[in-house]
Amino acid sequence: MKRAILVLGFAMVWLGVLVPWPTQARAQGQDAAPGWVQAKGYPRVAGEPVIHEQDIPYYEACAREGLNPSECAGRLIWFKATAGNERFHTYVFQQRVGVMIDWFRVLRSDQRPDRFAAWGAINDPSCCTPGDPGCPAKSLDETYGLDWCPGDEELLKYVGKSGYRDPACDFRDAPLKADDVHGPADQRQTACDLRFGTSTGALGIRKFPNPRFDPDRWVEVNGQLGSWAGYGARIAAAGGAHEAARSLLWDGSIEPPFLIGTSCGSCHIAFDPLNPPADPARPRWENIKGLIGNQYTRISEIMVSGMGSNTLEWQMFAHARPGTTDTSAIPNDQVNNPGTINALINIARRPVFAGESVLKWRKLTSCEGQDPGNCWCEPDRQGKCWSKGLKDETVHHILKGGEDSIGATEAIQRVYFNIGSCSEQCWVNHLTDLRVLDPQQRGFGQTPFDIGQCRRDCPNFRAIEDRLANILDFFLSREATATDLRAAREHELQSFNTRASYSDADLIDDLEREFGAGAVARGAEVFGATCARCHSSQPEAAAGQTANLDFHRVDEASGLRVDWLGNDRPTPVSEVGTFRCRALHANHMAGHVWQEYGSETLRAQPPDPNIAEPADGGRGYYRNISLLNLWAHAPFMHNNAIGPEICGKPANAANDFYAMRPRYVDGSNIRLLPPDKQPGCVPYDPSVRGRYALYKQSMEDLLYPDRRIPKVTLLNDDVTLRVGPRLWDGTDKETLLGFQLTIPATIDGRGVTAGTIGNFRHKDFVVDLVQARFKPDEAEARLVKRLGSEEGKAVLADLKAIASEVRDSPNGLVEALKSRPHLVKQVYSSCFAEIENAGHRFGEDLPDADKKALIAFLATL
Amino acid sequence: MTIRHLAALVLASLLVVSCGKDEQKKKAFEVKFPFAEYGEAYAAKPDFARLEHDHPLSVDDLYRITPEVLSLLEQEQVDQIYARLSSGPIPEGPYEGDLFFPKGGSGKLRLSEIAGGGLKGLLVNVAGKKLDAIGEILWKGKVFYRKERLLRNRIEDLSPLKRVGLVEDGGSANPLQKIEVGGKDQWLLFPARLYCGQSLLDGRRESIIIDYAFTDRLPGYRRMPDMMAGRDGFAIRDEIRMVRPGFYLGRAYIDRSFVVNFVLWNDEVAKAAEASFRSSGEAPEDCWSGTQARRVLTAAG
Repeated sequence: MKRAILVLGFAMVWLGVLVPWPTQARAQGQDAAPGWVQAKGYPRVAGEPVIHEQDIPYYEACAREGLNPSECAGRLIWFKATAGNERFHTYVFQQRVGVMIDWFRVLRSDQRPDRFAAWGAINDPSCCTPGDPGCPAKSLDETYGLDWCPGDEELLKYVGKSGYRDPACDFRDAPLKADDVHGPADQRQTACDLRFGTSTGALGIRKFPNPRFDPDRWVEVNGQLGSWAGYGARIAAAGGAHEAARSLLWDGSIEPPFLIGTSCGSCHIAFDPLNPPADPARPRWENIKGLIGNQYTRISEIMVSGMGSNTLEWQMFAHARPGTTDTSAIPNDQVNNPGTINALINIARRPVFAGESVLKWRKLTSCEGQDPGNCWCEPDRQGKCWSKGLKDETVHHILKGGEDSIGATEAIQRVYFNIGSCSEQCWVNHLTDLRVLDPQQRGFGQTPFDIGQCRRDCPNFRAIEDRLANILDFFLSREATATDLRAAREHELQSFNTRASYSDADLIDDLEREFGAGAVARGAEVFGATCARCHSSQPEAAAGQTANLDFHRVDEASGLRVDWLGNDRPTPVSEVGTFRCRALHANHMAGHVWQEYGSETLRAQPPDPNIAEPADGGRGYYRNISLLNLWAHAPFMHNNAIGPEICGKPANAANDFYAMRPRYVDGSNIRLLPPDKQPGCVPYDPSVRGRYALYKQSMEDLLYPDRRIPKVTLLNDDVTLRVGPRLWDGTDKETLLGFQLTIPATIDGRGVTAGTIGNFRHKDFVVDLVQARFKPDEAEARLVKRLGSEEGKAVLADLKAIASEVRDSPNGLVEALKSRPHLVKQVYSSCFAEIENAGHRFGEDLPDADKKALIAFLATL
Repeated sequence: MTIRHLAALVLASLLVVSCGKDEQKKKAFEVKFPFAEYGEAYAAKPDFARLEHDHPLSVDDLYRITPEVLSLLEQEQVDQIYARLSSGPIPEGPYEGDLFFPKGGSGKLRLSEIAGGGLKGLLVNVAGKKLDAIGEILWKGKVFYRKERLLRNRIEDLSPLKRVGLVEDGGSANPLQKIEVGGKDQWLLFPARLYCGQSLLDGRRESIIIDYAFTDRLPGYRRMPDMMAGRDGFAIRDEIRMVRPGFYLGRAYIDRSFVVNFVLWNDEVAKAAEASFRSSGEAPEDCWSGTQARRVLTAAG
């Protein structure tokens, strides 16, 4: 009987009817249909042939969401394309940046059921654990310890060999846009350079066969093909436990079986709030959306999964809350600033800003008469040219401070740099190297990378750039449509009774039962009077005329709500009052790595006069974000800090990252509250009820700021940055050459924040320290200019004293800095904010009834 | 004038003459060699991709580069040369070597000073002698075992290491290994892995990496002195790129901090491949050579 059903299902797919995907059935341990990818022709979805089995659920999703060919092409790229970053995540990050990822720890198939709880990674519904019933792979050795995923029947043949043909080569491009300047001939870069590989079992994380893999060496290291245990096992340092342990991950001569890459989806793929999975570890394809952002991802912990917690790198990366990541951690602007993955909702209604000054590359058909330094035509193409120039444009404000501000497609383009694409060809040479202390050496600070050079030299860049219009179309598609609480509740009811309905009136009734009669209507008034100035995109709101605004009104043409519920305008961070480090993000400043993605208008913003840290170059602002679907996106703020802490509670305690870093502190001394006073964390719950409950708790935190228990991410160990070698030769206890900077976990009885490390401008400190000794006049002039006469001279005196103490005492720098905490925490800090859930106190003076009303109303948006 | 004064004067004159000749050689090289303009600050250094695009090297340029010329150049000039090279083939057999210190803003320092970031006077320098002794050995002669992806360093004179107590008697179980090169016995110490990997200066293409981190896992390892180069010692990692067949330019790092340049050469390999390389500008590449078009200009164009 089962076989008959599957045969019927198979036939239905051929007929273009959406049916449950047989591979998913296999992955879930049900019966399987052998020989699914048949020899004669290809299966069809929505009438179109699909060459690769792995693509079928993607095309099914396009049909389910009603996406057109361009939107669908954009979706597939967003979910799968690494644009060549598998070299970044296998070689560059490890060897050049010096940070180890233990991919096996994250992706090992025997811990697939624990993967979401540990890492927030979403299991690919089409993949399975070798040996499970119905899984095509029978042993972990066949898949080198990872999940088996569609396409692996081909990919696995090429581990240790060259010649793999990437599935992206068969990508079904959407027709070229009629208005494409480089048309009408299709001159797009080959789709092979999108680089798809196959899934690793975690959505958005892709694998590619490593032609350099040596199976004999692998078995020698790990004991078997199906394990990476020996590769990642910690090897204690000879110098003792206070030295960071290493592992063979540091041995670049060992080539793993796969190169691992990430797509944009690795952070943006998320559970659908309308249709959450019954079991988050076993989602189905219809539970997956591509644009709202994974609120549970621990991508930062993934990136340092091969590092010990007593390393500088672990402390710098592994402090982001679930659903947030410090996108500056790799370029390293020395501003610690994790932020949420932006929820992309109703993008067609997102505010744009006319008349902004934008220097960027634009398409044209010829460079004749143009400056060759600012115009380039791709060789072997007809009139496929770009020219760089300054023009006024209408642009979005994207990222937390509106930093990506030269156009929507360029903002998408920059995401690919964020995930590591074209790193070798275009941008690692422009990053800061923490260990370079000589201002005359490359790597002392960032330099801007050149988009034009990247276009010329990186084929993966061109492959993405030539399809940015498709990705933007996906952003504008129905998949980004708001997911309202009403619809979510209706969908939930329909899982029991397909005829059930849940109307707006039902939602209001339920909310008013909970928050009081008339709460929603009153909440709308309060919202208009108190919040809409920033959190409405209707022009009247910015002018303070909110009396008759309808925040639910729907635009008939698009079917989207007219109001985006945020105006995206910049507000000085001192006015918002939230954790300000993200607003001090420096990568888009002139002379910094992403300079070319920031507009001149952005950089012309005046510094916020009410903060003490450096805030020039357009920094110091947060844009007023959208409150669309707030019910599904708690906790709040750019760092997810207002509201309860959330956590995964994995079975493997070694991956219980919240337990390693509880956040609630005594505000008087910034030290952790004792365990019995820690509120604890709320387990991940992506269900409709779970999201709603988290929303209500977070709203309480938001509107009653005095009740918030301060949260701070603290160092959980002293952390040392060494510059120059250390040596333990078995004859001396420990000998040191060069010097070290240790950031102690406590100073004068106060806890030290993890951000202190990332924010400490150690290079400026060292340069000043050296000059205080050898060129004190120059040092004094610089310090007085920056800090004023009194403080500048005081700091110079400190530095002179430190230089003397260090000369007389081994490891003297540690004690010298401990006794002068202001140097680390203020004078040489990019951001010295400590409390992460402070600020945004708007509405705290409202009567309790109005606060309830506001909570009720906002749940309807 | 005393004899002592006279001797000092002669010595000073010789130094001036010598320095003057060096400066002339450097200038003669600079005039014809394509360098991009640069300033002192890190931000005033040219981007390597643009450098290579605007100033590709010719085969003739590559044949003008000599160990002596390299040692006279500013560090930025050495970097500009290195960035325009590719890895070439992983070498095989014995290579002669020499090291030269970075020049530029910091002047010429001892290795132990450079390793501390050039911050003379702020260092705790107890291990300096050991590092200086090792530096005189590590970047001299080497033997490449291409097939095994291993490398060992050739040492004619063990006395500098012995003076700082770094030679351990392995006994009959692990005797010191020797080879004969040019009719001379040479000791083999400091085994390292060889592989294609990331350059810490220029990411646009891979370099050949000589990595001592896990030296303790390699055949013939002797705890002392070999561990001094390993992860619990100075954590030395070298990278090399080919100038022309038989001649490589290298950069040495200690615990990821750049410390010294070095060159490696094998005259036999150089002679055997010269005619072919001069005419084509091409050599085998064992490592990933990137996606930026690298043009080595030949006389034939």
